[in-house]
Amino acid sequence: MLIQSFKTMLMASAVIAFISTVAQAGTLENLERERAQTVNYFLDSNLQPNERHARIEVSKRRLIDMERMVLRDNSLRGKTTPIVRRAFLNYDVTFMAHSATEKNLTMLDNWLDQFSVNTDSLMSAKIGRR
Amino acid sequence: MTRIPRFNQHCDPGVLRLAFVTPLLVASLLLTPPAMASQVNWSPQSSERLVKLPTNYLKKSLDNDFAQSSLGEALSTSEENISLKGSTLADLQQAIASSTGDVRLELRHEFLAEKRAYLDMMTERNALRRQHLETKRNLFEDMLDHLSQQENTGPGAEEVIANQEAALERFERTYADVDRNFFSNSMAPESRYAQQFTKNMQAIEQLVARIENHKLNASSMGEEEIPMTRKEHLRRLVSDAQAEISIIEQEETILGYMAKLVALDAMDLADDGLDAELADSDVTRSLQPATSVSYFLNN
Repeated sequence: MLIQSFKTMLMASAVIAFISTVAQAGTLENLERERAQTVNYFLDSNLQPNERHARIEVSKRRLIDMERMVLRDNSLRGKTTPIVRRAFLNYDVTFMAHSATEKNLTMLDNWLDQFSVNTDSLMSAKIGRR
Repeated sequence: MTRIPRFNQHCDPGVLRLAFVTPLLVASLLLTPPAMASQVNWSPQSSERLVKLPTNYLKKSLDNDFAQSSLGEALSTSEENISLKGSTLADLQQAIASSTGDVRLELRHEFLAEKRAYLDMMTERNALRRQHLETKRNLFEDMLDHLSQQENTGPGAEEVIANQEAALERFERTYADVDRNFFSNSMAPESRYAQQFTKNMQAIEQLVARIENHKLNASSMGEEEIPMTRKEHLRRLVSDAQAEISIIEQEETILGYMAKLVALDAMDLADDGLDAELADSDVTRSLQPATSVSYFLNN
């Protein structure tokens, strides 16, 4: 009886130890990679408008999932590494797919807006030599 | 000429033994160190696993771990031996009450020796209990530190947590709108992650509900049935261990007084033995020169 209960206790401890080691790894890193790729599509002058639009749409679907994974990742809570610190400093830049959909803007417009670049500022800009 | 007899020529062997052994007993009582260095130990570690254990289960788990350790086994054996020694003392006390003469003297000596052994055992047992409680207290303090470190992961953590909470709050507030906007403007079906996530969330909610109602997961109750947090529960365990250590210190004072009484009883017993022997002795009680003057007055 004692041995049996000891075995049960060991098993319970092992299960709890397993639970404590389960942690989502690299959700933020994956998001950063996908975000970098999306920004590449924004800026790639070799892409035709249709092709760019199609690629960005695919990226957006992937970004929505990845952003949710990051927001739900408890292992990031309170982490003070530079990548986590920077990621949560500006929601609109890091979670660009959610932010854009929330504001009913395209991702490109929303992203440029974060750096104060919008249609009006572009239209009023003059080409010149610095 | 009257020969002064040597002390041991007419001495009863029992009394002789008392005269020599009892002072030794007294000396040993006074010189015995308070606790012998113990070779046994119990070394629980403040691991992540232990910190995560349900508070109600933590104490049982630790008690079980202690019972399996060499320190736990030594304490258990020591308590059994003390219980047996207590019975021996009770038997001897009864025997002394119903005996007389030399047998009574012999039994009183035996009783003193057994009391001394009992005190040794109690001292050793208290040392083991102290070791157990101090280890437990240190463990709980380590666990508290562990918990504090988890709550505060470093400088700037508060700012990060505040930003994370704001982000999560914004995400949850706009979650449904984002889904509606995105999927109404897009021909793409919901992603596999989103579908699986919704399905899993339902399962998780059922499991969480069962966990919340599980009796071992129930929060420990403090005074007036107020639920305690994990940190409060650990603080309570630390103060309980400290209180028990204080009680042991008080018990050690009691054992000190008992040892002093045994020493005084032993000296009293030695004194009684010598008095009885001297009463039977042929040796003249008074050896003052004036009483022997008559020997010198006539030639």
